Amino acid sequence: MSKASFTSGRAPAHHYVLAIILGVILTVVVSVLVGASNPDDFWLAAAIGALCTAYPAMSLAGKVFVSNHTVTRDPHGEQSVELQWMRQAGAGAFLDVLAAIVVASLVLAIGRFNIDALAVLPGLVALSVVDAGLRYVVIRHHTLK
Amino acid sequence: MKNNLAERRAERRWTQADLASALGVSRQTVISIEREKFDPSLPLAFLIARTFDCAIEDIFTAD
Repeated sequence: MSKASFTSGRAPAHHYVLAIILGVILTVVVSVLVGASNPDDFWLAAAIGALCTAYPAMSLAGKVFVSNHTVTRDPHGEQSVELQWMRQAGAGAFLDVLAAIVVASLVLAIGRFNIDALAVLPGLVALSVVDAGLRYVVIRHHTLK
Repeated sequence: MKNNLAERRAERRWTQADLASALGVSRQTVISIEREKFDPSLPLAFLIARTFDCAIEDIFTAD
């Protein structure tokens, strides 16, 4: 696993324009496909598709046209301290999520509650991501302060 | 592990960014090593020693 560093460099202006154009094209294509899959509510489906697609499409376009000028890969990035921070944050987040699941399971079992798994599972994903992110920031702050 | 990386870097009038670039790691890695908050891996310790033309134990010592 290698690590990348942001540089102070900027991509040529037309690369930003190309990135936006590619991002918009990808977003429109996907949203039209999503809309076509639901002809009864084409515009609503297309709008939801566009909302979900816009960020990843723009990110992909930025990666293709801009990142090569603004991000450099550290030759020995796998030796960087950030990798240790990520491992620590990931391990801590795993234990947090495990504890949360155990506690929630006990509460549900004892209270005999029924909840929709479709609502809970994305919540677990969100908890994992936020937890790992917060832990990373805290570990970084403690190390560099 | 204790180390004298900051002193050796200062002798050469290198910035932390210069050393990070020479080692191929992030600047935060150099900062963390100098503050003794991060023990480098053995390959990185060898690379640091080679960069300063000395042995690992000339830079790093056990607590």
